[in-house]
Amino acid sequence: MIQHSMFHEKGPVFWWTGLAGVMAAGTIVILFASLVIESVPVFKAEGISFLWGVDWFAGENYGALPMIFGSLAVTGLAVVMVLPFALASAILTSEFLSGRARLMVKAAMELLAGVPGIIYGLMGISLLTIWVRDVFGLIDGNTLFTAGLLLAVMILPTIMTLSEDALSSVPGELRDTALSLGLTRMETVTKVVVPQALPGLAGAVFLGIGRAMGETIAVMLVIGGIDRLPQPWFNLFAPGQSIPSKIGREAAEALGFDVQWSALIALGLVLFVMVMTLTFAGNVLLRKAR
Amino acid sequence: MFWERLYLGMISMSRQNSGKIILGMLLVLFGTGAWVLPGLSGWVQVFAQGSTVIRIAGSTTVLPIVSRAAERFQSRHPSIKITVNAGGSGVGIHGAGTGRFDIGLASREITPNENQRYASLHTTVIGRDAVACVVSSEIFHAGVRTLSKRQIGYIYLGKITNWKQVGGPDRPIVVIDKETHRGTRHVFMHYLFGNSKARAPGARLVTGSNNEEQAKIAQSDSAIGMLSIAWMNEDVAGIGIHEGGQVIQPTLDNVRNGRFPIARNLNLITAGQPAGAVKLFIDYLLSEEGQRLVAESGYIPIHSPHAVSRVAGSHSK
Repeated sequence: MIQHSMFHEKGPVFWWTGLAGVMAAGTIVILFASLVIESVPVFKAEGISFLWGVDWFAGENYGALPMIFGSLAVTGLAVVMVLPFALASAILTSEFLSGRARLMVKAAMELLAGVPGIIYGLMGISLLTIWVRDVFGLIDGNTLFTAGLLLAVMILPTIMTLSEDALSSVPGELRDTALSLGLTRMETVTKVVVPQALPGLAGAVFLGIGRAMGETIAVMLVIGGIDRLPQPWFNLFAPGQSIPSKIGREAAEALGFDVQWSALIALGLVLFVMVMTLTFAGNVLLRKAR
Repeated sequence: MFWERLYLGMISMSRQNSGKIILGMLLVLFGTGAWVLPGLSGWVQVFAQGSTVIRIAGSTTVLPIVSRAAERFQSRHPSIKITVNAGGSGVGIHGAGTGRFDIGLASREITPNENQRYASLHTTVIGRDAVACVVSSEIFHAGVRTLSKRQIGYIYLGKITNWKQVGGPDRPIVVIDKETHRGTRHVFMHYLFGNSKARAPGARLVTGSNNEEQAKIAQSDSAIGMLSIAWMNEDVAGIGIHEGGQVIQPTLDNVRNGRFPIARNLNLITAGQPAGAVKLFIDYLLSEEGQRLVAESGYIPIHSPHAVSRVAGSHSK
C-alpha cells in the first residue's frame, strides 16, 4: 500500500518536469561545450590575443575587440537610454493608473514586445539612420549610436512590461500599511514597493540586456558593419560592429570550415560568456543589496 | 507490474544518488534523439520523393535572372521545385562545394583557394555583367561624372576624403565597402588594386547584397560604392571611368564591345558536371528563352543575338 502511494506521489508529473528540467540544463551544457570545442582552432591560430586583436580580415587576421566593444557599447547605450523611461512608465502603470487603463497599456506593451527585430530594423534603416544623420549633422547615420537608440526602443516594452509585473505583484497590504503609517503615495512607491520588487525589476532589466545583446538583424542594418574601433574610442557617432551582426554577415560564407568559422564560433562564445557574466553579476549584486 | 517495479527502483535510486538519475535521463534523452532524428530525416525524404528539389543560393547579382527563370521553369515542370536564396558569391561557391546547394550562384570566378578545397567544382557561364563605380545622385548632379582608377583607388584607401578633391562639392565622402566574400568586391578590388582581397581602409560602411548597397547609396547624398550595372537607378548613378585619355561610360554597349574595364561572367557553380534536374534547369537558362531572361534582367546574354533593351536600371523601384 505504501508503495502504491509512492508511485502516485512521484507520478508522471514528477518525471515529465524532471526530464524537461534536465533537457534545459543539458542544452546549456552541450551548447557551451560545443562552442568551446569549435573555437579551439582560432585560439590555436591567434592565441589569446584573439580577444583584444583590433584587426579582422577573413583569411588573414582575426581580432575580436571591435566586435566586443561594439556589442558592449550598443547594449550599454540602449540600457542607459531606456531605463529611466521603462521604469518610470512601469511605476506609473502599476501604481497610478486605474485598472482599465493599466490593462490597455499592458496589452499595448506586450504587443510591442513581440514585434520581430526585422521590423525594427526596417524602421531603423528607413527612418532612424536619416534622423540621426540630420539631427546630429553627421556625414552618415549608420553608427553605434543609431544601433543603441534602436535597441533602446526595442527593449523598452520588454523591460517596461516585466518591471510592471514585478511592481504590481507586490502585495496590496504593504501599500495599505505604508499609507496608514502616514507615508505619501510617492514615498510608498520609492520606499516600499520598489525595494520589494527589486529582484523582479533586475530580472526585467537583465532580460532586456539579453535581448539587446543578442539582437542581430536590426543592429546589422544600422550599425555600419565595419570591424573597426571608433577613433577616439568613446566616439559613438562612428560606425562599428556588434558580435551578432558580425556573425550574421559572415556565417553563411564561413559555414563549417577553417579558422574563419572557428573565429565566428569564438565570437559566439564570447557573447555567451558576456551574457552569463552579466546575469551572474546581477544576481550577486542583488543578493548584496538585500 | 514490471513498470511499477522499475519506477520504484528508479525512485529509490534517485534518493540515493540524484546525480546518477540525471545521467540516466540524459542517456535516455540523447539515446532517443539518436534514434528519432535519422528516422525523421527519412520521413522528410519520403515526402520529398514526389518532387525533385533544386536548391540554389549565392550572388545577389545573378539572383534576379535565376528567380525569373525558376518561376517559368517550375510552371513547365511541376514535379521540380526550385528554392532560390541570396547570400553572396562566396556563399554560393562554398554551398555548392559542400553540397548544401545544388547550384551556387557566383558573380566572380572561383579562386585558386576554393578550387583547392573543392576539387570538382564545375562552372557554367550564363551571362555577362560589369561592376560600375557608383555615386549618390546629388554628387553626380553636382558635377562628378567621371573618376580615374587612381582617384577611386585613393578614395578607397582613405587618401582622398572630400568630394572637393575630385571636383565635387565640399563634403566628406561616405565610402561604402562590401563584405569580403562578395563577388562584386572581388572584381572591383581586382580592377583597382590588382588584388581581389585588397583592403579598403578608407571605408566607412560595409554592406552585403546589391539591394543593401543600392539602398545605402541612395539614402546618402555623398556616397561612393560599387554595384552591378543592372542595379543602377536614378538615385544611384554610375560614373565614367577615366582611363588612357578617354572616358568609358558604364553601359551595356561598352561591356559588350569590351571597352568597359570591370566586366565579369555570371556563373552557375555545380559540384561536378550538372546532371538530372539541375542540368535540365541550366540548359533552360542557356536556351534562347533563358538568355532572353538574362537580357531582361539587365545583363548581357552569352551567345545569343538578342538586343539588350535598356542601358541600366531594371531593378530600380
